Amino acid sequence: MSRNSDKPAGPQVLEADGIRIVFGERQVLGSVYLRVQTGQIVGLLGRNGSGKSVLLQTIFGARAVADASVRVNGRHVVPAFRHPGLLNYLPQEPLFPPSLTLARAARLLGVDIESATARFPELRSQFGSRVGELSGGSARLVQALLLLHADTAFSLFDEPFSGVMPVHVETLAEEMQRLKQHKGLLITDHRYTEVLSICDVVYLLHQGRLLRLDGDVREQLRDYGYLVS
Amino acid sequence: MPILATQLRAVALFYRGVAPFMLGVSALILLAVLLPAIREGWSGGLLPGLLLTKLATAPVVWYLSEQLRPGQYWFYYNLNVSRRRLWTGVVALDGGLFLGAALLMRTVL
Repeated sequence: MSRNSDKPAGPQVLEADGIRIVFGERQVLGSVYLRVQTGQIVGLLGRNGSGKSVLLQTIFGARAVADASVRVNGRHVVPAFRHPGLLNYLPQEPLFPPSLTLARAARLLGVDIESATARFPELRSQFGSRVGELSGGSARLVQALLLLHADTAFSLFDEPFSGVMPVHVETLAEEMQRLKQHKGLLITDHRYTEVLSICDVVYLLHQGRLLRLDGDVREQLRDYGYLVS
Repeated sequence: MPILATQLRAVALFYRGVAPFMLGVSALILLAVLLPAIREGWSGGLLPGLLLTKLATAPVVWYLSEQLRPGQYWFYYNLNVSRRRLWTGVVALDGGLFLGAALLMRTVL
């Protein structure tokens, strides 16, 4: 885990703006400014199709968008995934090749699988299993844990709690809280109760605009139609 | 793990996913064209043409791979390896294996 050893000593700030995405005649993202700082968990909420995944993929650098600006401490980093130790991304779909064993996936990511899964002892017997042999929930949990423990300044998680059983969701949320000391997390998930309980900052994607919610977040979520009143 | 070693392992892992098709094409060219040419004694100067033919099949593999496994790149992105670097590595590795096998056949047979 030496890739990130040359990180700046102080907090790092990831900023993204200028991201404009149009599908057909529908503008998915139009006015976006997003900021994540190490030591923070930032929640990104929005209705289905509002562009949450597209936004995360654009920040990660997997989706090329003209005029998109992604910066860390003011330095332009596009595509961001090419910068070792900067950030990783958990997509909605399976992350690992199905033939890969968990132990090998962890080694490639530079993660100590024993410590990454220390709070989930039932996963130990599966270290030698291929990812394709795991249940959907276990695979999701391991993917999230390995990226969480990887030595990057930021982690972008798209639906990390999806398919994970409740008792593990709680522990995973606690792990996120613990590890935010070392990194910044940007999370989007429809399990808003869990997301709101761990987030320091909440954004809502609404009609192509990214709104930062301050004050009574739940009330604003109701006002914008994300929650039922 | 040093970054370069990780990226080389990533290319090798990615190659495993496309190897059945790429090695199948190699075997077809070597067994259907080079082997008879060696036996009949007209294989001199054939290798560059065969290598080019082999390389020309790479876009077909790339296209099929994109269509059949659109989400296959996420893990490699997380290892800081771009799509272009993966395919460049795979084509170089596959071309090298093809050339090695062809030279071995010419030497042994």
